Amino acid sequence: MTAPALECRSISKIFGGVLAVDNVSLTIPSGSVSALIGPNGAGKTTLFNVATNLYVPSSGEVSFFGKNVAGLASHHIAALGVIRTFQTARVFPGMTTMENILAGAHLHVRTPIVSQMLWSRAARREEKSLIDKADALLDMIGLGQSRNVAATDLPIGAQKLIEVVRALMANPKLLLLDEPAAGLNDRETAELAVFLRAICDAGTSIIVVEHNMSLVMGVADLVFVLDAGRLIASGAPQDIQRNPKVIEAYLSRPEGQSP
Amino acid sequence: MTSILQIVIGGLLQGGVFAIAALGFSLVFRVTNVVNLSQGAFCVLGAMGMYYFQVSFGWPILPAAVAAVVCTTAFSLLVGAFTFVPAVSRLPNSSALVLTAGLLTFFTGITLIVWGNQPYALPPFSGEAPLVIGGLRIPSQGIWLASVSAVIIVGLWLLLQKTTLGRALRACAENPAAARLMGIDLRAMMLLSFGLAAMIGSVGGVLVAPVMSLQFDSGQFFTISGFIAVAIGGMGSFSGSIVGGILLGVAEQFAAYYVSSLFANTLALALLLAVLVLRPAGLFPSGPPRRSDVRDEGRIHRAVVRLPGRRQLAFAVILLVVLAVLPTLPMPNGLLQSLVIALILYIAVLGLDVLMGYAGQVSLGHAGFMAVGGYCAAILATSYGWPPVAAVIAALILSVLCALLLALATGRLRGHYLALATLTFGLLVDSLAVGLVDLTGGPSGLVGVPAFEVAGFSFDTPVRMYYLALALAAILVLALEGGMRFGFGRALKAVRSDQLAAAALGVNVSRVKIVALCISAALASLSGSLYAFSFHFLSPEMVETTRSFEMIAMLVLGGEGTLFGGLFGSLVLTLLPTLVQDLAVFKTAVEGALLVIIFLFMPEGLFGRLVLWLNKIPFRGTATAYARAGS
Repeated sequence: MTAPALECRSISKIFGGVLAVDNVSLTIPSGSVSALIGPNGAGKTTLFNVATNLYVPSSGEVSFFGKNVAGLASHHIAALGVIRTFQTARVFPGMTTMENILAGAHLHVRTPIVSQMLWSRAARREEKSLIDKADALLDMIGLGQSRNVAATDLPIGAQKLIEVVRALMANPKLLLLDEPAAGLNDRETAELAVFLRAICDAGTSIIVVEHNMSLVMGVADLVFVLDAGRLIASGAPQDIQRNPKVIEAYLSRPEGQSP
Repeated sequence: MTSILQIVIGGLLQGGVFAIAALGFSLVFRVTNVVNLSQGAFCVLGAMGMYYFQVSFGWPILPAAVAAVVCTTAFSLLVGAFTFVPAVSRLPNSSALVLTAGLLTFFTGITLIVWGNQPYALPPFSGEAPLVIGGLRIPSQGIWLASVSAVIIVGLWLLLQKTTLGRALRACAENPAAARLMGIDLRAMMLLSFGLAAMIGSVGGVLVAPVMSLQFDSGQFFTISGFIAVAIGGMGSFSGSIVGGILLGVAEQFAAYYVSSLFANTLALALLLAVLVLRPAGLFPSGPPRRSDVRDEGRIHRAVVRLPGRRQLAFAVILLVVLAVLPTLPMPNGLLQSLVIALILYIAVLGLDVLMGYAGQVSLGHAGFMAVGGYCAAILATSYGWPPVAAVIAALILSVLCALLLALATGRLRGHYLALATLTFGLLVDSLAVGLVDLTGGPSGLVGVPAFEVAGFSFDTPVRMYYLALALAAILVLALEGGMRFGFGRALKAVRSDQLAAAALGVNVSRVKIVALCISAALASLSGSLYAFSFHFLSPEMVETTRSFEMIAMLVLGGEGTLFGGLFGSLVLTLLPTLVQDLAVFKTAVEGALLVIIFLFMPEGLFGRLVLWLNKIPFRGTATAYARAGS
């Protein structure tokens, strides 16, 4: 049996006196699209950041594919095949769309610097294959026309897509997406759902933190619900929609968003 | 015993001046989070103003001092309002830091134009006779210095702690965003802190003028000493500034007395490096450090300055042909010599571009690597008879080792600490070049460096040297173009614009930065070696900190992150003073002003501007895609 894509064991995170994540344990199997949902301030992004070691957990352990990541630097986690995106689109300014996407392939650039400086055949061949792959992905998200435009020039929805594609260039085993649908309209969200499903079918596990329920219900195999730092429910989307605890968590507070 | 006390008194006197400069640093840093390297220039402007009013106009001491301080403060406010304040609000912190280096150069240049390059000394306020207490001689000016410093410190403390204005200033320091939401005019507060720092600095200058002989470029001395003091004490901490200043002053006096005044600087700098490595926040840290290693998203230069591949190649070929034909045209010998220098400096600027333009890391001490390269190669070739090529390679290895050592030491020091550590490194190398007389020839320089030679062919004329430098530069551009175009360059650019996102994609941020530092150190070293072989001579002032600032100005003027830009920058800044010799006195001021203006108004630089302009010309439909980004 393959190890789960992500396993959190009794994770807690305290900021000052605030318990942002409270003893959360969850196991996400590989080969699935999972969603982490919850009202504002439920601790979703905090859990994400703990999992990728941006925050050190106050207690508990995280492992990806059975490998404990305590103390690992971000780039080592990426080397495990776990690539994350950020809540606000973080395309690299001063770089074109194409360069942004190619930057995602960093882990797969095998030719050493000296070989690149000598314009060696290996370096050029590698570059060519990366560009071909990037072009194919760009066409898939319909941004082929924008390949040589500064990425920061594109609308926010396109930037979020570029981030997803950039992460894909790393051939991740697990993709962690922080609110990929924020800033997208309904049509784009539907397209994103199709895209994510295709990525998953191609062998990449996906975990999304998401507010957008149509995306979650449309694409997720498994849904985990956080409220006030605690895991209150998990299961298939249809079950989650009917779960009284979830409905209460979303409806009991004025600023909450209904599922 | 008495002599030790006497040294301590000397140290306290000197330390008082450093403490005043350090206070200015801390004040501006607290409010803006930027290290204002132009701080030292205020001291010089104050002192020169004092000379102007007291000696030239014959005013009595008090009105002259007040007039000097008021004029300096007013002038600084004017300059600060149009340069420093917009820079802090618009540019990333690292660029704002470099901009203040430009301001320092600009103020130095202005002083040179107005007061010339001779040293000035003023009469002490209350006569030459020192105060004698129990056999100790205390210079009367020292009493003035100590008491006025105390008044400034108490006044500053009262202002910050007891007034509404002070509370607003402190609010900006704690949390600029929240301060703005509370209705505090952030820009006004930044300007106020800049003006206050200018006032404090000029008071210090007025007080110290009678005990130190000052000249136009003494500002650098005050900036560096004040900066060392504040870095030792703790950036942003007022008590730290004072303690740091006095510690530094006393340490320097002891070093000068017991070792040699040539090494007084070396000791102070070693002290600083030790503090930077062991206690990066200084002896008195002022609160948790703000994150300054991640560039603020909204303040990054967003234009994509790139020529489409085929055009880039055509441009490079045309450029190479023009440069190759140039020496065959009739021209005065001096001009050809300047072209050689421009090309040699371009090699170092290329390295600086990899570090600053691509990796986004600031080095304020790049001349230090030039010095290591230049001296090592020159000494090996001159005193030990090594073949020049072997000497150059040995120097290169030594420079890269220095860079690695610096990188190891500063591994934890991100953001502006790297800039400051390189500045310290540059100064340390400079002070060693001055101090190690037996090895380097000391201040008067190393003479008799042979011509560069490869396999019996001697590059002993400017024309031969020119083609050597051109060939090397062309090869290096080609290699770096490869390195920057493929995976490594993308990793560098990713690190420059967003370290967090780069790391999430698997980029080992510190490794990539270290490689960039090593590449740039290697090129600076090569440039320094060629420099020495070209002149047959090397002196400390050819590779001092002014040179570091000049290379930054060249890079920024030409355009960062373009590789070609540096060539334009180094050509302009090297040839202009040669072409218009009568205006040579304006060189420093123009260099500083250009750096500041380009940073603020044309961040893409000369070459970048050319590229953006060329890209507007349609060229088989490819060019329009490379539109300028941003609003």
